[in-house]
Amino acid sequence: MAVSAAFKTDLLGAIPSLRAFAVSLAQNADKADDLVQETLVKAWDKHESFQPGTNLKAWLFTILRNEFYSQMRKRGREVQDSEGLMTARLAVHPSQHGQLDLKDFRAALEQLPEDQREAIILIGASGFSYEEAAEICDCAVGTIKSRVSRARARLQDILQISGEADFGPDAISSQVMGSSAA
Amino acid sequence: MTKKETAAEAANRRRPTMVDPLGSNSEIGRKLKQYYDELVSDQVPDRFAVLLSQLENAEPVRKKD
Repeated sequence: MAVSAAFKTDLLGAIPSLRAFAVSLAQNADKADDLVQETLVKAWDKHESFQPGTNLKAWLFTILRNEFYSQMRKRGREVQDSEGLMTARLAVHPSQHGQLDLKDFRAALEQLPEDQREAIILIGASGFSYEEAAEICDCAVGTIKSRVSRARARLQDILQISGEADFGPDAISSQVMGSSAA
Repeated sequence: MTKKETAAEAANRRRPTMVDPLGSNSEIGRKLKQYYDELVSDQVPDRFAVLLSQLENAEPVRKKD
């Protein structure tokens, strides 16, 4: 059965999100784009297994994630350095007036173990529900919750953020609040 | 300690079941979205549109021999 034009259009539309998720996972732009390419080819090949009406983005994220971990296994987990070197190399300045540098944030995110990083990205940035994230990561909802919570605590720790409630929302965050799945 | 109730806090109060630890009240939550939105808005290279066109134009036959 031929792939429909609508499916192709939907794939095209999903690419920005796929790339964002891929960079978040791989922490490397070139690897990320290779992951996206592989994901698109796989999605195309098995388009018949996608059920129209269900969440295409979640389906694609699942493919991309599987691809990421299967590549990591092949490479022998070269990037597993979440505790040591990076931490030493990273100089984080205590946030002043609640203004945290995006560069520092990126570096902190990089220090998280993959499972925590993907969980906090899926929930806190990609706009998935806990149920959807659990499906994407092939684990229990409770597992996602605990990973998100550990990721958040770890980030707070690295970035020396305390007393979250002190940071009131501003104009940008109210806009962001309105946007869900990107 | 008294302080003015912010819009987001008011929203959380209205929807107590939806209190979100990564919501806009959270510095982490805001940075996370900023980080991700920047990635999403990055310009998509042509290679992906080219790839999909190639897939579309390829014969729809099973690849397995």
